[in-house]
Amino acid sequence: MTPPVIRVEDLVKVYQGGGLRVTALRHVTLSIEPGEFVAVMGPSGSGKSTFLNVLGCLDRPTSGLYELDGVPVSTLSRDELARLRNDRLGFVFQGFNLLARTPAVENVELPLVYTAVPGRERRARALEALGRVGLSDRTRHLPHQLSGGQQQRVAIARALVNRPSLLLADEPTGNLDTRNGLEIMALLQRLNRETGLTIVLVTHEPDLATFAGREVVFRDGRVVHDVQRPAGDAVAQVERLPPPVREEEAA
Amino acid sequence: MKVSSVLRVSFQALLRHKLRSTLTVLGVVIGVAAVIAMVSLGQGAEKSLNDLIVQSGVNVVFVSPFLTTRGGVRGWGGAQVTTLVEEDATAIGRECPSVVAVSPLVRTVAQVISGNANWSTSIEGVGEKYGEIRSWTVAQGDFFPARDIRRAAKVCVLGKTVAESLFGRANPVGETIRIKNVPFQVVGVLAEKGQGTYGENRDDVVLAPFTTIQKKLLGITHLHRVFVAARGPDQVEHASREITDLLVQRHRIRPGQENDFSVGTMAEMVSTARTQTETMGLLLLAIASVSLLVGGIGIMNIMYVSVTERTREIGIRMAVGARGRDVLGQFLIEAVVLSLSGGVLGIALGVGASLLIPRLLRWPATISPEAVLVSFLFSGAVGIFFGFYPARRASRLDPIEALRYE
Repeated sequence: MTPPVIRVEDLVKVYQGGGLRVTALRHVTLSIEPGEFVAVMGPSGSGKSTFLNVLGCLDRPTSGLYELDGVPVSTLSRDELARLRNDRLGFVFQGFNLLARTPAVENVELPLVYTAVPGRERRARALEALGRVGLSDRTRHLPHQLSGGQQQRVAIARALVNRPSLLLADEPTGNLDTRNGLEIMALLQRLNRETGLTIVLVTHEPDLATFAGREVVFRDGRVVHDVQRPAGDAVAQVERLPPPVREEEAA
Repeated sequence: MKVSSVLRVSFQALLRHKLRSTLTVLGVVIGVAAVIAMVSLGQGAEKSLNDLIVQSGVNVVFVSPFLTTRGGVRGWGGAQVTTLVEEDATAIGRECPSVVAVSPLVRTVAQVISGNANWSTSIEGVGEKYGEIRSWTVAQGDFFPARDIRRAAKVCVLGKTVAESLFGRANPVGETIRIKNVPFQVVGVLAEKGQGTYGENRDDVVLAPFTTIQKKLLGITHLHRVFVAARGPDQVEHASREITDLLVQRHRIRPGQENDFSVGTMAEMVSTARTQTETMGLLLLAIASVSLLVGGIGIMNIMYVSVTERTREIGIRMAVGARGRDVLGQFLIEAVVLSLSGGVLGIALGVGASLLIPRLLRWPATISPEAVLVSFLFSGAVGIFFGFYPARRASRLDPIEALRYE
């Protein structure tokens, strides 16, 4: 049996600074199996962002166990965490976080720049990843020449290019309008269903959470709610929207 | 992360801020240019000083009939001091054991005429040993012998430039030229000597017996110089002491009274010139060091600005797997690329200056490949040294903070 993608036990994160002690995570225990699509919900300050940072190996827990693909992460060094982010994780942010003045394809290549993958293969894999998010015709465009939805799809392609075991998305639709937001959700749902990609999505929009098969709700650093239920179909919802304004005009 | 892609990213970052990058590296440019110009001028001066010793003869000691401060070299004035005479020269040759040859010298500037051609040049009245003392050889004809000196014969030996100006390619030996209406028969032409240390033409001269020049052209009985050859390079010091003692006695100079002559050696002139060159070199070196220091600080400052501006980029790179050392390397290479570009510009400027200075100022300069290489490497080192702290700050950023940075 394959191990869970994520296994956390008794996870505690305490921030300390300026005489202030803030406990962001209080004894969180959770497992996520391969192929799951999990929506993490909760009000601001509930600890969901801290949780995502710990899952993303950007931050280390104060105590408790975190295993990613069966590898205990809590004790790794900064460089080892970087290695892990590079091979196992893909990030999608609310603000896209693309490198400005850098063409889409080079943005997508960025994670591979820090690996031993040779230049020619990097380019091929970046183009393939752009194809999977439907941007084969925009590879040389600079971020500011793309609409918000397209920029977020470039960011998703960047997250996919190193073939991660886990995709972490932090409010990926927060900066997008309804249609583009839904299209991004539809894309994530498709990637999850067709390739079995494990996704953890942080959002505070309950509508978007319905597209995930599992909902985890944080409050005051604790998991207060964790249910699995059939997911809504994002593609069908996109189709129900009124006909779109052409993106080139909108952008 | 591969070096080639880091280099590309660095160049892009620098080209994005062309003006800023240029202004930043200006200090390095000036520093490197100063180093190269300094070394070129220093080597040029050194070379020409060595040439000067060889050209003038290592054994040469000269007596001038005027008062000098120690180490100073005055011009050819000395008209008022008429105490140095032919008998002094003869006595030096007779009584100083370290001396092998002596020649008096008187000098003037005059127009030389042959047929329709005329040429203004320097006329040197000398003794028969003058050519030997100064290692000047005759290419055509002969140097005038002692007999011509004794009887003040109207003969002369032409420098190459004078010979060509008056006679073109024809052989001037046997022809007659006129100097201030006095006819002189040409008995020889000197071998070509080319440019002197300070760019002067050493072939633009006419040599004649000093007795003839004294009587026929100048109407004087004193000398402007006495040139002496010592027995060997190690005898130069001896010879000048013997000459000084002899002339003090002959001119009846009392203790405490200043001499009415000075005895100089080429070695002294050269060491004076060398001291001046070294002072100049030190000055340039100081400018270069200050400039490189300021340039380095400029680079450090701009790299801090760059790290701050690109905090978010650093966060993104770290999130997708860049390690601290990848970020460190990127910013360090950027600093080095910046300072090396300054170095290359500085080398271009320095080499340009080294080519131009000899033309404009008639200063000799020799471009040294070692200096070019060393300043290239040094400018790279400036980049590493001053780029290190900004790069380390970048590499130690917390990725979460960096991603949140606006």
